[in-house]
Amino acid sequence: MDEFETGALGGTDTAQRLDTPWEVVLWNDPVSLISLVVRVLRTIFGYSKDKAEQLTMIVHNEGKAVVWTGDKETATSYCVALHGYALSATIQPAR
Amino acid sequence: MSDEPFRRSPTGITVSIPPLLRSWLIAQAQAAAAGAVQLGDPVHRRLLGPIDPTEDHDDPLTELQRQFAVEGPLSLLVATAEATEISEEEAEQWIQGLQLILAASAARLAVVTEDDVAALDEVQHGELTTIQALISLLIDALDG
Repeated sequence: MDEFETGALGGTDTAQRLDTPWEVVLWNDPVSLISLVVRVLRTIFGYSKDKAEQLTMIVHNEGKAVVWTGDKETATSYCVALHGYALSATIQPAR
Repeated sequence: MSDEPFRRSPTGITVSIPPLLRSWLIAQAQAAAAGAVQLGDPVHRRLLGPIDPTEDHDDPLTELQRQFAVEGPLSLLVATAEATEISEEEAEQWIQGLQLILAASAARLAVVTEDDVAALDEVQHGELTTIQALISLLIDALDG
């Protein structure tokens, strides 16, 4: 995955101005459908079908995936949007 | 459930689900909304736990946004559960509401892993698969 991702809420320019980028981590849950997760990633982040499917399978197989990296405010907004679909998501400083 | 509970129409999505299922959805949405506001309830922890796990709670603005993101779709689902047609915007909120009900049900049943799902009894498993089926069929109607 690229170091920084952009999406519908913006990100790259702002993220690169900040000292510490933040990650949006999407966690696997045993009840959400794969098709739903793919659709939500496409809707919220504007990802292609291929990229959304790739991230969803990482979540499914590895338990979690970093789905976006950038400034904290935007990461928080994305996380809130994911929670609007009851998906388990958290934010953390990028390592 | 009928073969096509959701169908695209020229003005939105036609909803053809049995009255008993509609009543059940209303009850589930109300239960999810009630659990979400109860501190210490597993539904609250699942739907409104802090997005930064190192913090005890979100900042006030984020907390408010998240409460609205839970209450909005669940309220709309309750308000439109008896409707025979919903708009595309309402259908999108139905998907969110159904997902919230699904997550709330899983939290109430202490489902965290695939093994937990496998350990559910037939009724409990049926509850989750019914909601999943509605989500899948509504997505098909919206995007198909």
